[in-house]
Amino acid sequence: MAKRKKESLKSSRNKLLFVMVLFALVWTALLGRAAWLQLYKGADLSRLALRQHLAAELERGERGNIFDRNGNMLATSVDASSLYIRPVKVTDVSGTVAKLSKILGISKAKLRKKLSRKSNFIWIKRQLDDRTARKIKKADLPGVYLTTEFVRLYPNNHLAGQLLGFAGIDGKGLEGLEKEFNGRLAGRKAQFVVQRDASGRRLYLDELGREMDIRGKDVHLTIDSHLQSVTENALVDSIKKYNAKWGTAVVVEVATGDILALANCPRFNPNIFRTSSPKTWRNRAAIDVVEPGSTMKPFLIAAALKHGVITPEKLIDCEGGRWNLNGKYIKDTHKYGWLPAHKVLRYSSNIGVAKIGLELGVQNYHKFLTDIGFGSKTGLPLPGDRVGSIRPAAQWNEIDLAAGAFGQGVGVTALQMAKAYLCIANKGVAKPLRLVQLPRSEEDEAPKRIFSTEVAEKVLSMMREVVQEDGTGTRVRISGTTVAGKTGTAQKAEKGGYGNQYMASFIGMVPGYNPEYIVFVMVDSPQPNHYGGVVAAPVVKTVMTETLAYYGKLPEKQNSAPVMSASLTPSSEMPKKAVRANSAQTSVSSETVPNVKGMPIRRAVEIMVKRGFVPKLKGQGMTIIKQVPEAGEKWPEDENAEIVLWLS
Amino acid sequence: MNKKKTLSDKPERLDYWLLGAALLLACFGLIMVLSASGIMAERFFDDKYLFFRKQAIFLCAGTFMMYLCSRLPKAIFYNLVYIWLMGAFVLLMLSDFTPLSVAAGGAKRWIAFGPIRIQPLEFCKPALVLYLAYFFSRKQERIRSFSIGFLPPFAITGALCLLLMLQPDFGGSVFLCMILFFMSLVGGTRISYLLTSLLFAGGAGYLLITSSPYRLKRMTAFMDPFKSAQNEGYQLVQSLYAFGSGNVFGQGLGAGKQKLFFLPEAHNDFIMAVVGEELGFIGVTFVMVVIGFLLWRGFKIALAQENLQDRFTAYGMTIMLGLGFVLNLAVVMGTVPPKGVPMPFVSYGGSSLLISFIAIGILLNLSRGKV
Repeated sequence: MAKRKKESLKSSRNKLLFVMVLFALVWTALLGRAAWLQLYKGADLSRLALRQHLAAELERGERGNIFDRNGNMLATSVDASSLYIRPVKVTDVSGTVAKLSKILGISKAKLRKKLSRKSNFIWIKRQLDDRTARKIKKADLPGVYLTTEFVRLYPNNHLAGQLLGFAGIDGKGLEGLEKEFNGRLAGRKAQFVVQRDASGRRLYLDELGREMDIRGKDVHLTIDSHLQSVTENALVDSIKKYNAKWGTAVVVEVATGDILALANCPRFNPNIFRTSSPKTWRNRAAIDVVEPGSTMKPFLIAAALKHGVITPEKLIDCEGGRWNLNGKYIKDTHKYGWLPAHKVLRYSSNIGVAKIGLELGVQNYHKFLTDIGFGSKTGLPLPGDRVGSIRPAAQWNEIDLAAGAFGQGVGVTALQMAKAYLCIANKGVAKPLRLVQLPRSEEDEAPKRIFSTEVAEKVLSMMREVVQEDGTGTRVRISGTTVAGKTGTAQKAEKGGYGNQYMASFIGMVPGYNPEYIVFVMVDSPQPNHYGGVVAAPVVKTVMTETLAYYGKLPEKQNSAPVMSASLTPSSEMPKKAVRANSAQTSVSSETVPNVKGMPIRRAVEIMVKRGFVPKLKGQGMTIIKQVPEAGEKWPEDENAEIVLWLS
Repeated sequence: MNKKKTLSDKPERLDYWLLGAALLLACFGLIMVLSASGIMAERFFDDKYLFFRKQAIFLCAGTFMMYLCSRLPKAIFYNLVYIWLMGAFVLLMLSDFTPLSVAAGGAKRWIAFGPIRIQPLEFCKPALVLYLAYFFSRKQERIRSFSIGFLPPFAITGALCLLLMLQPDFGGSVFLCMILFFMSLVGGTRISYLLTSLLFAGGAGYLLITSSPYRLKRMTAFMDPFKSAQNEGYQLVQSLYAFGSGNVFGQGLGAGKQKLFFLPEAHNDFIMAVVGEELGFIGVTFVMVVIGFLLWRGFKIALAQENLQDRFTAYGMTIMLGLGFVLNLAVVMGTVPPKGVPMPFVSYGGSSLLISFIAIGILLNLSRGKV
């Protein structure tokens, strides 16, 4: 028994030694594997690991949206697949070229050239449509990859085009608000993109491993897309009718300083910005410095009233329409003799205001202009926002002062004019204009009193005469309410003096006693008629009427005016506004099919589905180009009626 | 090895080298758990030191258990073999059939008693080792017979595996079968039986793998992890990236990037990948040297035993730790198909740490006066 035990001790000892050797071998093999992985393959593997981060570099978050004040989408992004290759990874060059060429319709020679480049990363085609992307995915070619990019889309096409600007194919804002707010809107890049599980859920991390949101942030504007559309349409009508070069219009809500509409014509569609000339991209309201002409006169009058140089009843000799000042002639359109100051403004006498200006003095006038915002930026977040040109007071001679009194020799932007009139409408207290609700501007100018309420009331009273009495602005009268306004018809400076081209402008404030809305319109080089009271005034009137109607403030008699513009119905907010405006016409927007042309599929389908219809989609692409039933037609009563959307 | 130290007035020396190696590895593991889990813990639990603290507590508890096991009379382990085995069965059944079990990722591998979670598999390992050592040493004379020498240990192990497969835990079953194989090999089972059963085990394994799409996927992913780097092969590929990025000297402790959510379970089964990335080949070599030393001491203790049950027990405990080390390293370095095997002493986890310390405690117990 003992012997037997010895034997098994011995045999187990040998087997145990055998297992020890086995483990020693495995141990050596594992150490060898570690050496192979870390020392021999180390460089390759760490390069591959870095490539995970390269993938992160390609991946950008979706660009933020731009909304109007009611949450209507003005700019958005839709995702699209883009195709790139890593030539090193392509195993079968000719096969890949043949297949790609067939699917993408790119010539084989071109593809072969691209594939022969010694780059690690080459774009082949960006922003493919879904069907092509699916084909590529199905072909499963080694070295050929799809990544998600975002296409910028402006669902309302032309609407506020110059204001919004546009973003390039790399998602970088190039013009307008897209440029100004690029930092906020742009999607971010994560330092690491982590796949949390095999299902592909992703996590985006910054360099410290903290989770981050790579989606760009939204921007909310004070613009109201309905009023924007109304304003643009009115402006376009006037430009066409009077063969003008361009026009711009600003609508401001007095209580808040909010810019409700900022229109530029001719319009431009940021969806296809490449097809239009860079000239049409200009947001002229902010960028173009012009001599305003007579729309400047109320500021002179205000300054003179403030300094006690005149009273509204003070008589001024208008010299029968022609007055020689230091060898230069100042002329009036109509001949006047002695006029009280309020009629000088009502009839827009250049001679009258020149004399008041001379009496006021350069220092006072200059200070007043700078106080009210001329000569400095409006503070609005618009690229290229200009300071205008107001020369230093010391450089003004008498002629300059006289000319400056009726708006010549001073350079201003339309937005500066709107801001200065906001001060008058606000009864002498200057406050900033606002274009953006979110993000809030960091430093809001504190409201600052420039002149007394009495002065403001007197100027307003005179501006009411311009419209309500026999002044130059009678064409903007709106029955049932009063309007305060001022016309401007400025001769445009050309080489060697003033020529026969004019800048027609009109400032309107409504209601005339306690203004709630300001509308400023400028039209460049209208023909044959060039008077602000003829060319610009109708635009102001239309916009004012629509604005009042829209906010339900239009007196009863005028109720026929507002018809919701069908091109702007994506909002659920607007029908509500329409209810306020005119309860009898509520049906207009909710009972008829909205215009979904130009909208991204997703949104268009959403609108249709909300009404209980599932539209049929035809063609391929991401935007709607045609619809049946047409916009404005009644919604079909049969729930199974066919709605068809064509894509492009 | 047969030299007897008879100086009975002197306290009998323990194998302090083994003790030192185990403690060194456990402390190293604690640091690596902090490095691997800190960022993740801060993000998900708002507490950077969550896993570190827990692991530190496990370490203290483990050290205490080790001390206990090194001090207790051997009879406690040997005479109560069936009790331990019964305990293992009960734990497994609790996880299989009672609501105490906690499911994670579709498998019920945990049971929870209040705040304490334990992994029954881990406790099955030492229980099985104790049983097999007992069996092979007591049945030595009949060991070559089929019904007495072969059937019972295979039946017991088979039953444990069956319960594991109900969880399901394929990897755990394989682990137990490997313990059985190595114990039988040294215990004296006929080689022909062993080879036959190996063949059967291989066949059963093949059937199990091919019958489950999940296992098959993991298997094929292992063959070429880079092909399915976005799916099944993801974890392995990330692990290989980590090792590769480490190169010779590593990125520096705490500076690894793969653990930033790239590497799931970085503080757990894949902690060696973090070691590889942060401490490089130097760090991996250090761990492997400590492991090699520890195993060598274990085998040495086993060889020093004159009593068969002592020897088999010491050998079994060493094999249990050794299989853990080897399989874990092989998995994270992509040489065997992925299985959930923690790295003894280094990976985060109370159950694993505890039984590793128990194994060392028993080895220390047996080393008394033998080294």
